[in-house]
Amino acid sequence: MDPIIDIPALERFGIETGIFGLMNSKWAWPIAESIHFLGLNLLMCSVGMFDLRLLGVGRGIPVTELHKLVKFGIAGWCMCAITGFLFVMTAPGQYLYNPAFQTKMMLMATAFANMVVFYATTAEALKSTPASELPFTRARLIAFVSLGCWLGVITCGRLITFFRPPYHWCFWCGS
Amino acid sequence: MDPVFAWIEQTPLSVFIREDLYFFFVVLIFHALGMALLVGGGLLIGLRTAGLAKQAPLHKFRGFFPVMWVGLTLAVISGVLLLISYPAKALTNPVFAFKFVCLIGAGLMVREIARRFFPMAAEGLDLPRSARWFGIATLVLWVAGVTAGKFLPYTHHVLLMS
Repeated sequence: MDPIIDIPALERFGIETGIFGLMNSKWAWPIAESIHFLGLNLLMCSVGMFDLRLLGVGRGIPVTELHKLVKFGIAGWCMCAITGFLFVMTAPGQYLYNPAFQTKMMLMATAFANMVVFYATTAEALKSTPASELPFTRARLIAFVSLGCWLGVITCGRLITFFRPPYHWCFWCGS
Repeated sequence: MDPVFAWIEQTPLSVFIREDLYFFFVVLIFHALGMALLVGGGLLIGLRTAGLAKQAPLHKFRGFFPVMWVGLTLAVISGVLLLISYPAKALTNPVFAFKFVCLIGAGLMVREIARRFFPMAAEGLDLPRSARWFGIATLVLWVAGVTAGKFLPYTHHVLLMS
C-alpha cells in the first residue's frame, strides 16, 4: 500500500481529463515523444553546450552571449515537462514506481539545485571572465554537474522501458 | 534484398543484440547520448547562424566540432548495431530514408556554413543576409531528422524478415 501516492486517483484523473484517451489514440504517443525529444535537443543545444563552454569547449565565445540561448533550453524543458506529464498521467504506476524514472527525477532535482547555486554564486562573477580564458574552478564544477545530470536524464529516460513492471520501487511504501 | 536481411538477422551478432537482456538498451543509450551531442552542437550552430547571439564570433563555434564528431561516432556505431539487429525493420521503412536524408543534409549544411561563413566571421566581416537562411534550413533539417527517428518504432511494417 502506498501511503503517499494514490495511483488509482491519478489514473482516474488521467481518464477524466481525457489524457488517457488522447495518449492512446493512434499518433498521440509518438507525437508527444517527438516533442519530448525536441525539448531535450533544445536543452542540449543551449544548456548542454553552455556547460561545455564553461568546461573550456568553444573558447573565444563570450559566455554572456551563449547564455542568451538558455531561453531555448527553458522552452525545451517546458516541452518535456508538459509531454512528460501526459506520459505519467496515462500510466502513473508504470512511471512512479520505475527505478529509472525515480533516478531521472532525482537528477532533475539535482540539476535544478545546481542551477540555483549557479545563479546565486557564480553567474555574476563569470561575466568578467575574458572569453578566451578557461572559467574558474567553481564555474567548471557547476557546469560538470549540470552536464552530468542532463546526460543522466537522457540515459534514465531510455531506461524507463527497461524497468517496466514487475519492477516496483517504492522506498516510501513501508513493508 | 529480403534474403540479405534474413541472413543478417540470423548472424550471431544480430541475434545477440536482439535477445541479450542488457545489450540492446546499452546500444540505445549510446545512440541517444551520441545524437544529443551531435544535434545539440548542430542546433547551436544553426541558431547562431540564423542570427541569434550575434555578438558571439561565429567562427569560434568550430570549438564545438570535436563534440559533434564524438556524438556522430557514438551515434553511427550504435546505429549500425541497431541496424544489424533489425535490418528489415529500418531498411523497408521510408521514414528511415527520410531521417537519413535530413540528417546528412543537416551535417552538410553545417559544413557549408563553416566553409562559407566562418572565414568571413574570422575576418570580422558582417555575414550576408543569406546566412540566416542557411541557419534556418540547418535547424529545420536537424529537427526533421530527429522527429523522423522518433517515429521509426511506430511506422515500420516489417519487424523481421526471417
